[in-house]
Amino acid sequence: MSMGEATPTPWDAQGNLEVLTFDLGDETFALEAVLVCEILDLLPCTAVPGADPLVGSVVNYRGKIIPIADLRRAFAMPQADATLDSRVVVIAIELAGETIQVGLRTDKVHEVTTLRRDASEAPPAVGMRWRRDYVRALVRRNQGVVVLPDLSAIFQVFAGDDAGASTLH
Amino acid sequence: MNGDPVAAFRVEAGELLDQVEQNLLDLGDRLDDRDLIDAVFRGLHTLKGSGAMFGFDALAGFTHHCETAFDRVRKGLAPLTAGLVEVILSAMDHMRALVEGAAPAEIGNAILARLQQAVTERAAPVAPAASGWRLRFRLPPEAMANGTNPLALLDELRGLGTCRVTALTDAIPPLADLVPTECHVGWEVELRGAIARDDIDDVFIFVMDDMELTVEPLAPATEAPVLPAATLPAAVVAAAPPADSAPVAAPPAETPTRTAKSGESVRVSAERLDELMDRVGELVIVQSRLSQLAHGHHAGAAGELALRSIAEEIERLASELRDTMMVLRMVPVASLFNRFRRLVHDLARETGKTIELTTDGETTEVDKTVIERLADPMIHLIRNACDHGVGTAEQRISVGKSPVGHIHLSAQQAGGEVRIAIRDDGRGLDRVRIRAKAEAQGLIQPGQAMSDHELFQLIFHPGFSTAAQITNLSGRGVGMDVVKRTIESLRGAIDIGSIDGQGSTITLRIPLTLAIIDGLLVRVGEGRYVIPLAAVEECLELSLEEDLRSRGRSFITLRDRLVPFLRLREMFETGTRPDPHQKIVVIATGAERVGLVVDQIIGSHQTVIKSMSPLHRRVATFSGATILGDGGVALILDVVQLVMAGQHQEARLRAAG
Amino acid sequence: MTASILTVDDSPSLRMAIRIALNGAGYEVVEAGDGLEGLNKANAARFDMIITDLNMPNMDGLTMIRELRKSPEQCGTPIIFLTTESDDAMKQQAKAAGATGWLVKPFVPDQLVRITRKVLGR
Repeated sequence: MSMGEATPTPWDAQGNLEVLTFDLGDETFALEAVLVCEILDLLPCTAVPGADPLVGSVVNYRGKIIPIADLRRAFAMPQADATLDSRVVVIAIELAGETIQVGLRTDKVHEVTTLRRDASEAPPAVGMRWRRDYVRALVRRNQGVVVLPDLSAIFQVFAGDDAGASTLH
Repeated sequence: MNGDPVAAFRVEAGELLDQVEQNLLDLGDRLDDRDLIDAVFRGLHTLKGSGAMFGFDALAGFTHHCETAFDRVRKGLAPLTAGLVEVILSAMDHMRALVEGAAPAEIGNAILARLQQAVTERAAPVAPAASGWRLRFRLPPEAMANGTNPLALLDELRGLGTCRVTALTDAIPPLADLVPTECHVGWEVELRGAIARDDIDDVFIFVMDDMELTVEPLAPATEAPVLPAATLPAAVVAAAPPADSAPVAAPPAETPTRTAKSGESVRVSAERLDELMDRVGELVIVQSRLSQLAHGHHAGAAGELALRSIAEEIERLASELRDTMMVLRMVPVASLFNRFRRLVHDLARETGKTIELTTDGETTEVDKTVIERLADPMIHLIRNACDHGVGTAEQRISVGKSPVGHIHLSAQQAGGEVRIAIRDDGRGLDRVRIRAKAEAQGLIQPGQAMSDHELFQLIFHPGFSTAAQITNLSGRGVGMDVVKRTIESLRGAIDIGSIDGQGSTITLRIPLTLAIIDGLLVRVGEGRYVIPLAAVEECLELSLEEDLRSRGRSFITLRDRLVPFLRLREMFETGTRPDPHQKIVVIATGAERVGLVVDQIIGSHQTVIKSMSPLHRRVATFSGATILGDGGVALILDVVQLVMAGQHQEARLRAAG
Repeated sequence: MTASILTVDDSPSLRMAIRIALNGAGYEVVEAGDGLEGLNKANAARFDMIITDLNMPNMDGLTMIRELRKSPEQCGTPIIFLTTESDDAMKQQAKAAGATGWLVKPFVPDQLVRITRKVLGR
C-alpha cells in the first residue's frame, strides 16, 4: 500500500455510505458502519508502557485483549479527559491480511447516518492542519462538516515487520 | 451417566500398569528399595482383584502368579535382581495385552516360567520349620459379643493339622461376676504338621491386634521336614498348567467390541474443578437476578440498567467458563515423558548401550490432543538418538566421553508456543554423510553451498536415511518425513542443531491454542504486571537507603554478585511516586540475572495467557496479557527482553565510566 | 439350616455381586441399601452374618454397627465390613464399634466366600 494515497471511499452504487458519526474534540468524524462491532461504555483500561501513544492502552473486551486507540493522537488534537458521554467504539479492520479489533475512544457517539458522495470533497492539498493522508474525505452535512478518516493509513504504521516497535529504552 | 464399567476398568488398568512400570524402572536403579517393592506388589494385587471383579479372568490368573512370585521377593525369600525386573516388565506387557483382550497363552506361560526361575534361583535358605507349633491364645473379653466364635477358630486350626486342645480356665471369674457374653477362656493348642506360621496367623487375622497369642515351634520330629519354601514353587508351577486353559477359554469373553484407548479420559486437578464450581455458583446467582428481572421486579430505567448489568455478568462468566474448560484439557507433558523411560530402557538393552534419560519441564502443560499426536514423532526421534546419535560404550570411551550416553528431554512454554527438545550427547549429525546422501539422491547439486540449517532440513525428505546399517530399530527412512508432517499438522516447526562430537538437539515448537502461566503478580505505579514464576529466583526488599545509595548505579550486591536492576517505574514512565517499601524481584534466564524493582508484590497467580493485539506485537517487553479476577488486565513481562535490557543498561553505564 | 446373610451397601452392583457369590455357596442373602435400612432389617429378623460397606448415605456403616451392638439380640452376630487396603485407621474404628472382621476391596468372589465360611464356621 503506497504511502500518500488515500484508500478509496466505498460509496455504494447510489453514491451513499452508511456511517457512524461521533465527536472527538471539536470535530465530528465518521466511519463505515459495517466496521462497527459494538459501542461500549468506557472500560477500565490498562496502560501498555512502550506502545505507540496512538494505541497506548488495552482493555478486556469479552475476554480478548484489544488496544484502545485515541484518534486525537493521529490528528494532533489536545488530550482531554473522558466524560459521561464518552464511549468506546469497537471496530474490526483489515491490516496486512489480518482482521484486528480496536476500540476507538470517542467523546460522544451520534447516530448511524448516510453520507452522500456528492456532498464530499477530497481533503485540500494545503491549509489543513492534519496529515492529509489520514483523511479520506470531508463531507458536508446540515450540521457541519464530517471528517472521514483513513483508518488503514492511520494504522498502517503497525503493519510492517518491525513497525510499532517499543518506545522503551 | 456411569458409562461402561469395563471401559472404565480398562482405563484404570492402563494407569495402574503405567504406575507399576514406572516403579519397576525406578527399582531397576535401586534394587533394595522396600517402598518401591511394596508399591509394585500392591499394584499387582489391585490389578488382580479388579481384573477378577470385572471378568478379566485370564488377567487375574496371570497377575496372581506374578503377585505370588513377587511376594517371595517382598518376604525376602528371593532376591530382587535386574533380571527379575526384566521379566516382570515383560509380564507387564503381557498384562496390557490381556487388558486389550488378545494375548497368546504361550507368551504368558513362557513369562511365568522365567518368573519361576528368577525367584527360585538362589533362594535364600530357609531354616527348616518345626514339625508343628505350640500356641496359646486369649481373646479380648468382648470378642464373642462382637461376633468372633472361638470354636470356629479352633476348628480352623484343626483344619491345618492334628490338634491337641487344652482350655485354660484360670482367668474365669467367679459365677457371680461372670458375664455370659464375655470370653474368659484361653486355649493352648499343640498343632502337628508341616504348617507355615503364616497360616496360623491367618486364622487369627481378625483378632490379631487385640488378642494375646504366643506361638513356638515344636521340637522337630525325627525325619527332616520338607522345606516349605519348596512347596511354593510347586504350587505355582502346578497352577501354571491350568492357566493354559484359562487364557484360551477366556479370550472369547474378553474380546472387546472396541478397544478403549487410554486417551479418552483426563485427570483434572481438584483446584480446577473448584474454580469451575465457583463459576457455576456465580452463574446461579446471575440467573436468579435475571429471573427477578423477568418477573418485573425492576421497572423502567432501573430494569434496563439491571438487564445490561446482568448481560455483562453473563458475558464475563461465559468467557471464563470457556477458558476454564479449555484449561481442563491441559495435561502435563510428564505423562508423555514417562512413556519414554521404558522405551529408552528397552532400546538401551537392545543396542547394548548404556543410556540415561533425563528430563526437565515435565510440569509444562499442553493440550491433550497435542500430547497424543506428539507421542509417535517423539518415539521416532528418541529411537534415532539411541540408535544413531549415542554411540556404544567403547566408541564413547575412545573419544574420551563417559561410557554412559545421555538423552535429555525438556519442555517449556515460551511466548505462544511450547518447545520440546530432545538432546543427545552423541557424535552429532554427520554433515559429510548427509551431503553425500543428498547428492546421491539428487536432492542437491554437488558443491552447492548450503547452510547447516538447509542441510539438516534435507533429513526430512522421504526415503532419506544416512544410517549405514538400517537397524531394526529405526527402520527405513520413512520416519523423519512423517515426523515433520505430523508436527506441521500441529502448525509447528522442527529445529535441528548439532555440534560435531558433542551431540545434537532436535526442538519441536508447537504453537499453543491456550497457554497458562504461573506468575507472580506485581504492581508498578497503578498498573499490574505478571512475571513468569519459572523465571523468578527470589524477592527482596529494597530499603529506602539502598534505593538512595544506588541512584545512578543500578547494581545491587546479591551474595557477592553484582546484579543489575531495572526500576520498572522509570522504565514504564508511570509518573507515580515510589512506594516506601519497594521490592526487587530477581529473575534469571540461564546464567543471566536482573532485578526488577516494583512497588508491590501482590501474590502468585495462575491464569490463561491472552495474546496481545497485533498492534502491540512489537512491544517486546510484554509477551502477552492476562485477565485478573476483577476483570482487569495485567501485562506479562517478557523475561528474556528484560534481562537483555538489564545487560544493555549495564554495558551503557560501564561505557559511561 | 441354611445360613442367612444381610448385605448392606449403597452400590446395587456390589450388592448383586455379593448376593450372587454367597447364593452360589449356598447361603441366603437379604439386601439393604444403607445403614438405616440395614439396622431396621437386622432388628426385624435374625441373621447369621452381616456384611456391610462403611460409606453410605442416611446412616453410615460405623453408626449402624454401633447401633446394632446396642441391642442384645445382635450379641454375637458376626459383622464383616468392606474396606480399602490402606485404611488402617478405619479398621481400628470399625473394630472398636463392634465389627468382627473385614474384607478388602476389590475382592474376588472366592475371597468373600472363604471369609464367610471362616466366620460362620460352616
